[in-house]
Amino acid sequence: MAKFVKTKRAFLIGTGIVGGALVLGTTLAWRRVANAQNFKPPVKDGETAFNAWLKIMPDSTVVVQVPRQDMGQGIYTTLAMLVAEELDADWGKVRAEQSQINPVYGNIVALGDSAPPPMKSAMLAMARVIGLQLTGGSTSVRDGWEPMRTAAASARAMLLGAAAAKWNVPVTELTIEKSIVKHAASGKSAPFGEFAQAAATLTPPSSVTVKAPKDWKLLGTSPARLDVVEKTLGKAQFGIDVRLDGMLYATVKHIPYVSGHLQEVRWKNGTPPRDALHLARGDNWLAVVATSYWSAKKALDEAELVGGGDTGTVLSSEQLAAQYNEVLDGKNDGVLDAGVAHLKPLRRTFGEHGNAEKAIASATTAQRIDAAYSVPFQAHAPMEPMNCTVRIAGEGKDGKVDVWVGNQAPTVLQWLAAGNVGVPSENVTIHTPYLGGGFGRRVDLEVIRQALACAKLTGGKPVQLIWSREEDIAHDAYRPAISARMSAALDDKGGLLAWHHRMVGPSVSKSVFARMNPLAAGDFPPDVTNAEGAAHLPYALAHFKCDHAQVDLPVPLGFWRSVGNSYNAFFVETFIDEIAVALKKDPYLFRLELLKDQPRFARVVDAAASAAGWSSALPKGWGRGIALAESFKSIVCQVVDVEVVGKDIKVRRVVSAVDCGTALHPVNVKAQISSAAIYGITAALKSQITLKDGQVQQRNFDTFPLLKMAECPQFETVIVNSGAALGGIGEVGVPPIAPALGNAIFAATGKRLRGLPFVL
Amino acid sequence: MPTALTLNLAPVTLNAPDDKPLLWALREDANLVGTKFGCGIAACGACTVQVDGVAMRSCSVPLSFVAGKQVTTIEGITAIGPNAVQKAWIEHQVPQCGYCQSGFIMATTALLEKTPDPTDADIDAAITNLCRCGTYPAMRLAIKKAAQLKKAGG
Ligand code: FES
Ligand code: FES
Repeated sequence: MAKFVKTKRAFLIGTGIVGGALVLGTTLAWRRVANAQNFKPPVKDGETAFNAWLKIMPDSTVVVQVPRQDMGQGIYTTLAMLVAEELDADWGKVRAEQSQINPVYGNIVALGDSAPPPMKSAMLAMARVIGLQLTGGSTSVRDGWEPMRTAAASARAMLLGAAAAKWNVPVTELTIEKSIVKHAASGKSAPFGEFAQAAATLTPPSSVTVKAPKDWKLLGTSPARLDVVEKTLGKAQFGIDVRLDGMLYATVKHIPYVSGHLQEVRWKNGTPPRDALHLARGDNWLAVVATSYWSAKKALDEAELVGGGDTGTVLSSEQLAAQYNEVLDGKNDGVLDAGVAHLKPLRRTFGEHGNAEKAIASATTAQRIDAAYSVPFQAHAPMEPMNCTVRIAGEGKDGKVDVWVGNQAPTVLQWLAAGNVGVPSENVTIHTPYLGGGFGRRVDLEVIRQALACAKLTGGKPVQLIWSREEDIAHDAYRPAISARMSAALDDKGGLLAWHHRMVGPSVSKSVFARMNPLAAGDFPPDVTNAEGAAHLPYALAHFKCDHAQVDLPVPLGFWRSVGNSYNAFFVETFIDEIAVALKKDPYLFRLELLKDQPRFARVVDAAASAAGWSSALPKGWGRGIALAESFKSIVCQVVDVEVVGKDIKVRRVVSAVDCGTALHPVNVKAQISSAAIYGITAALKSQITLKDGQVQQRNFDTFPLLKMAECPQFETVIVNSGAALGGIGEVGVPPIAPALGNAIFAATGKRLRGLPFVL
Repeated sequence: MPTALTLNLAPVTLNAPDDKPLLWALREDANLVGTKFGCGIAACGACTVQVDGVAMRSCSVPLSFVAGKQVTTIEGITAIGPNAVQKAWIEHQVPQCGYCQSGFIMATTALLEKTPDPTDADIDAAITNLCRCGTYPAMRLAIKKAAQLKKAGG
């Protein structure tokens, strides 16, 4: 344990780590499998643990260890399928169990993805050392792909070895079908659970081969999801459902401003009401502990929180947009404006080839196209409000801390709780139930700090802290507002010659890490999420440049489903459409033309267009739009049909084509694509976060409305299995939906809407 | 003041203030956590239960309102065996994160009592709950399937 401490700390400090990790080198890659063989999860009820990833019960039930969190993306099911496939297990007897916290379960791919290309291998090496368990970046399957299948194949070999020894037959003559080991020649057969104990004592094979896709029986089909029955019966346990003996409830209120400090608490009657058993206070919040959420809330309603600060009190969305424009105009490089702190931009180029600036500067007016776009702040608003339950038993260093919370990074929570309470990490148990939605929201740690603060006051009684929806909407860590200016130059033959994407906005990663640990708030390495979906385009462009001006805002920011892709695809794909229109070309054919050398992309675009009947007629007042985006290594093209009646925009139909390499669970892939599209349509049509006088103006689902059943379009999704390396699926349906919708609105009305949410 | 009611077919007395929202009385005092808190302002439907057979958003109903009435929660429906709505939900693999689902199932169960054969327009008008995961497409199919199952005696 001790040897990890330093590395963890180094990670949290953030900068300076990459060089150190380089020294560790890449020889660590193979150790992941070896470590997994040596680590055994705890067992109960006669379970036999084979390695870090799976246990088998005497009745042949396979218990898969899942170190990722299920927030609706179906990850328990998909990861369990990887194991079940290699074991040839009966799907009806497979369960998923949230794994313990151990570096063996770290998400290596997620950290690798977070690094700019030159630093990727260093980051991967570091990721292997710290073993951070986190769910994000649509990485769970990509990360589990090798280790989980290898672990299951190894267990399979051991089971067969034990059966061969018992029956005294050659191991090569044995097969497994639906958890039954069979020996055809002798007619012997028995469920593999019977061999589990003996098998686990064998030495694991030194190498195993996983199945080729052509031999898959389960992967690529859509077995029943493991979580559906309990979620349908109302039995699934979410964090907010934890019930413990003697448990108290708490709720929290923040100062009205997005930033600044709590200075004074004014109670309506001068003192806190009697129902308030304990008060906990943080930098910008106050929590009340009571015997019920409702009485805690009533008590807190009587408190006026006075606070704020010079950076928190002045910010408005309009002001920010004006300042963004100044940055895009090239101003502000030397000065700090009084209104917004640290608006001195850090200018970086995230992608470049040819000389786009020169080509655009020398284009004639007729050959030049310019457009300005913007997106607002967005809240995550997962359906389960933020909550966390904590029990602190015992005193001092011997104290034991239990934390129940829907979260996306249990390893980080364990460090946080240990440091916060002052106990060793091994005294902290993190319980991760189902997450009532995540979308990036549950990476944030604030609710955990608050619950820890409350639980320190109650003399060992557990406390469940619940945020009201009002606090959630007004004090989220938001997807940032971003402004962009796009310029293009056309050549003499009516083709697209040069592309220049310039944008301004804050770094989400910097804000997230700063809130985890202020020392981690560095500007290096560059935040690749700023420009994801913009830095490299599949389109053939002779001259290309993508510039980003990074500013610091006094607003907490968070990863919001698809992160930078969520706005960059809107800028890129709307602008491509504008260029097609300027060239009087069909937007679908124009994209194909630019994708001549990109057969994988072209196939997805073709699949969507043909499933949608791209050139089929539409009723009067309708329009059809298309957009393409690659994110998290998957490619999605969407075609949207919209009906516009007066100012009312009705999305009628969304046809998607998706290439995520191989769809492992096609029904879930389709569900995730429509889920993400609905998330994106809500942000494109219904809701936004705006600031006025430093305060968020939205409070609940009345002012931050979500798409409803009645407004939900028809969905069709075509899966293109290219067999390419696996891509993610939980977020990839978000990026193209806003531009496809905007392009459809243009087709219906001739009006180009360049800001979200769309308003006619 | 204690409130007496029939909860999932059993008589109970809940010892909580009269003005405590039914949602919190259910979750905290009756220990029935299948009914969810989503917004507290009757805007999302996560807290939907049936009061005398009518779907109601329990976050906005005071406990005193259900005195002497019949309250049914998702636990009550599950206890008598999955109903047609739940069976259809499982067949269509509706839930994603699952948090909103109890509320939708309660609202749909009430809809089918009144409107055994709902049209799309009936569904749109009656099912106004919110699902942030966007399970609406599967849900619409499941609602229609549930109507069939129910007619067939499921
Ligand atoms: S919690 Fe009752 S309607 Fe949202
Ligand atoms: S399934 Fe997640 S909110 Fe509906």
